[in-house]
This record gives sequence, structure tokens and C-alpha cells, in this order.
Amino acid sequence: MAQAPEAAYSKADGAQAFADVTYGDIDHEVLRLLQPPGRKYWYGFAFLVALVVVGGTTWLRQIYIGLGVTGLTMPSMWAIYIADFVFWVGIAHSGTLISAILYLFRTRWRTAVYRAAEAMTVFAVITAGLFPLIHLGRVWFFYWLLPYPNERWLQPDFRSPLVWDTFAVGTYLTVSTTFLLMGMVPDVAAAREASSGWRRKLYAVFSLGWQGSEEQWRHFSMVYLLLAGLATPLVLSVHSVVSFDFAMAQVPGWHSTIFPPYFVAGAIFSGVAMVITLLIPMRRWLKLERLLTPWHFDNLAKVILLTSLIITYAYIVEAFLAWYSGDVFERTTFYMRYFGPYGPLAWIMVACNCVGPLFLFSPRIRTNMVALFIISIGVNIGMWLERFVIIAGSLTTNFMPSQWGFYRPSITEILITLGSFGWFLMWFTLFSRHLPVISMTEIKEGIAWHKKALQREDAKAA
Amino acid sequence: MSEQVRIVGSFADEAQCAEVIERLRHLKLGKVEAFVPFPSERINEAMELKRSPVRWWVLGGGITGVISGFALTVGTSYTYPHHVGGKSLSSIPPYVIIAFELMILFGALSGVLGFLINNRFPRFEPIASYSPRFASDRFGIVVSCEPAQAERAEAMLKEGGAEEVHRESV
Repeated sequence: MAQAPEAAYSKADGAQAFADVTYGDIDHEVLRLLQPPGRKYWYGFAFLVALVVVGGTTWLRQIYIGLGVTGLTMPSMWAIYIADFVFWVGIAHSGTLISAILYLFRTRWRTAVYRAAEAMTVFAVITAGLFPLIHLGRVWFFYWLLPYPNERWLQPDFRSPLVWDTFAVGTYLTVSTTFLLMGMVPDVAAAREASSGWRRKLYAVFSLGWQGSEEQWRHFSMVYLLLAGLATPLVLSVHSVVSFDFAMAQVPGWHSTIFPPYFVAGAIFSGVAMVITLLIPMRRWLKLERLLTPWHFDNLAKVILLTSLIITYAYIVEAFLAWYSGDVFERTTFYMRYFGPYGPLAWIMVACNCVGPLFLFSPRIRTNMVALFIISIGVNIGMWLERFVIIAGSLTTNFMPSQWGFYRPSITEILITLGSFGWFLMWFTLFSRHLPVISMTEIKEGIAWHKKALQREDAKAA
Repeated sequence: MSEQVRIVGSFADEAQCAEVIERLRHLKLGKVEAFVPFPSERINEAMELKRSPVRWWVLGGGITGVISGFALTVGTSYTYPHHVGGKSLSSIPPYVIIAFELMILFGALSGVLGFLINNRFPRFEPIASYSPRFASDRFGIVVSCEPAQAERAEAMLKEGGAEEVHRESV
């Protein structure tokens, strides 16, 4: 009988993962990151800012000359910008999965990774939100999408998926930013106590005056739980709405009822891969090995594996539906996706999204940082390509062969896409050294929980 | 009201702290407050606080959101009646999306507002008796009581396993 607790808490489990970590250690490990960063950090940061400048200048040039510089023309008026938009919104989703959905499920391994994931969500949404603007011919009229009447009281068409997008993405940005800032309040209060000068003033503002009294915790726990409860249906709705941008159109390859679940699964898949892509270097550079243990990566890898299988299933169902529809356009477009001009990209997508993650069935690969990093980069590439082949592939080979065309990305689009990666990573880099990137309170809570669970097991065994 | 004193005790152990809270509350020596570095179920049970009213704020915000969502979409369809292709002026299914998003948005924002108001946040002057260690690795108990009860409260904190106990005048 005495074996029971051993078996229940073996290997890379939470109790084991933090066996020799005290509450004070956690504060020490996280708060030391808030010391002024060194020169290397600022060199890296400057590089990212340079990427943003390149992307920004290219956008300014595009605004000045016109959207023509992208070379977008019939039949492919939507291309990389929209692929980037869907990609970045997708990246955002796993942050909410980890911080809100897994919170509701009381998943213990999320505590160490959720803050970084939630921050990633906010930065990915502010990146995604730029692309509909970049894609506008006259960006200065962007506010026409807001519920704002013209002089005759004509409002935007609320039946349009683009207006739904404005509401969904706008709400998502607001709620996930609120959720991130709210969750940080107790941690920022701890940072306030440990800092001085302008940092102390900044943290005092962010912590709102938090003192950690039971009375404050009572309201905090309630609002945090309910925000998680609101963020959960929100995250599922946002990528469903994004998929409606396609599914509501009649273009073959887009007009499909499986798009919402297919897109949501894809979003979480790509997002968890991005979390791993960010966390592995962060763990190494910021020396967070004690807090980000193989146990956490093992669990993240399992989420990738699960969502990869869902994606594979969706690809198969998509093929089946195209065949079963009996519709010649649907069948042709689908055939051309894999065997047409963009065929090689579609096969790279299959290799990255369906085959690569299968290696994660092996527990050894799940905890091997190098292998995991390579697989997660592969998933990022694969998921970007998925959006690209769906968008460009369907538009260039739709109904009439006489309208078929071929889309080739222009240097403008490539530079702006690169700039978006710089923009996203710039915010994340800034965040990682200026606000608590790992939740101290939740790890402490997790440790207390594991201790109690072990005591219960012991009591049962005795 | 006669003069009061505050007795502050700090604990390294969550369970000990919870037990002392239970005993102090049972004896009714004075007002008991707890400071914790993370939400602790044990201490929460010992304090027997009511559930936070913030949940009603979220509910109110959510309902307002749904109503505003439908009011906005249906209302604006009729302020500029514009028939297209024989379709009805307002169509509910697409409006559900707007109403749903506004429900979430208003619910979340009003929840945060409720949190701020209930806690009287933001405030920048420190609460008396607060110690920075309560944000890190110590559990604190603050008893506000008559000077006559102070010694008893101090003794209880020490017996209960407090690492440090001190008295503050109000």
C-alpha cells in the first residue's frame, strides 16, 4: 500500500518537479529577472526594433504609393496579409487555452507557463490586429468598421463577417489584456516590495495598491475565475469568427461547415508550438531551469500531439467532404491544393503538422529540448503554410479556369511579414525582463496543493 | 470608542496560521484579518468570508452586453431601413455574434470595475500592519482588539507557532 503515493507522483510530476523549491526561492528566481538587463539583451532588442523599423517603413511606402506595390491583383486579392492575420490570431489562442481553459480544469502544470503564454496572447493579438489595417487600401478610413454611422445614419452591415471580426478581435484584445493585467496584480505587488526608484513607482501603479489581505483575495479569486470563464467561450468564438471570413464566402475550399472547429484546433496547435518556441530559449537565457521543468514541456508537447491529431483528422475530413460533395469545383480546388502550383507547400504543411508531431509519442522526445524546439518551429512553419495554401490556393484556382492565376509574394509583403515577427518578439522581449514573466503566486499555490495531495495520499496509505 | 491595539503575527506555515485564525475567531477577541501570499483554501475557510459580490457585477455586465448587442444591431437596421434582395430588415442569427461578443466584453469590464470598487482600488497609501513578507513567503494575522485582550491574543499567536509577534498602537 505504501507504494501508492510513489506511483501517483512518479517521474516528472509536479510534486517532484518543485520538490526542493521554497516559496522564497520562487520569488528570488522570478524577481531577479526584473533587475536592469545587460548589454546582450539590449543588442537583441535593438535588432528586433530594426526589424520593426524595416516593416514600418515598408508599410509607410505602401500607404504613400498605394496597395499596388504589393502586386495584389485578380484573382488573388487576399494573400499573405490575410494569412499573417489568421496566423497571429491563431498564435494568440493557446495563451488563453493555457491561462483560462486549463485554469478552469485546475490543471497544475499550467502555473509556471501561463503568464508567458498569456503575454504572448496579448502581443500576438496586437500583431494580428495590424494586418486588416495593413491590408486596407485607405487605412485612414479604418474606423468605418466601427459601429459609427455616416451622416445619414447608415451603420456598418452587421451581417458582414468583417464587422464580426472587428467585434471579436476587439473584444479578444480587451479581455485578454485585462486578464493578463489582472492576474499579475499580486505578483507585481511582490515586485513592488522588492524594487526601488522608478520601477517601484511603476509596479505600485500596476499593483493598484494590492496588500494580499484575505478580503482582497476574496474579490480577486472571484473576478479571476469569472474572467477565465468568460475568456473560454470567447477564445472559441474568436477563431470561429475568423474562420467565417472564409466559410461565409462561396469560394471552393473555403465554403465549409468544418471551418470553425478546424480553425480553433489549428489555432491552439500553432499557439502551443509558439509557446514552446519562446519558452525554450527563454528558459535557457534567463536560467529558469528550476521553474520551467521538463514536466511542463512534457505536458505542452502532449497538447501539441493531441491537436496535431485533430488537425490531421480535419485534413482528412476536408478531403472526404470535397469528394463527397460531388461538386466539380470543390473537387478541383481541393485536388489543386495538393497537386497544383502550391502543391509542394501543401506537402511541407502535411509533413510539419501531421508527421513531425508524431515523434512526440516518445516520452524521451517530449523532454528533449532540442528536438522539441525543432518540432515546434516546424509546426509554426506548417501552420503558416496552411493558411497560405487555403487562401492563395483557393483564390487562384476557383470556378472558372479562365480566371485562374498564380500569386507570388512581393518584397513589400515579405518585409512587412518579417516586421510583424520583429514587432511581436520586441514586445515579448520587453515584457520578459520588466514584468514578472512567471506567476509566483500560482506556483506557490500549486506547491501547497501538491503537498496537501501527498499528505492525503500518505494518510490513506497509513 | 476606547483605544485599540493591533497585534501582528507572522507564520511560515499555512496550516498553523489557519488554526490560529479559527481559535481567535472563536474567542472573539477582536477583528481578525489575514494576509496571504497566495490564495489559501485553509485560511479562506478559517476566515469564513462570504462569496465576493463581484460575481453579480459580471452577471449585470453580461446581461447589459447582450441587450446592447441586439439593441445596436436591430436598432440600427430600423434607423436606416434599407431592403436588400428581399431580405428582412434585421436578421437575428448574424446579430447573435455581435451580442455574444458584447456580452463577454461588458461582463469582463464590469467584473473588473466591481473588483476595483469592492477593494477601493487603486490606492497608494499602505494599509497599517502590512509587511512586505506577506507578499512573499509569510502568512500574517492581524488582530485589532482592546488593550485588555492584547496579551491573550499575543499568547495565542505565539502558542500557535507564530515566528514573530509584535504590537502596534492605532
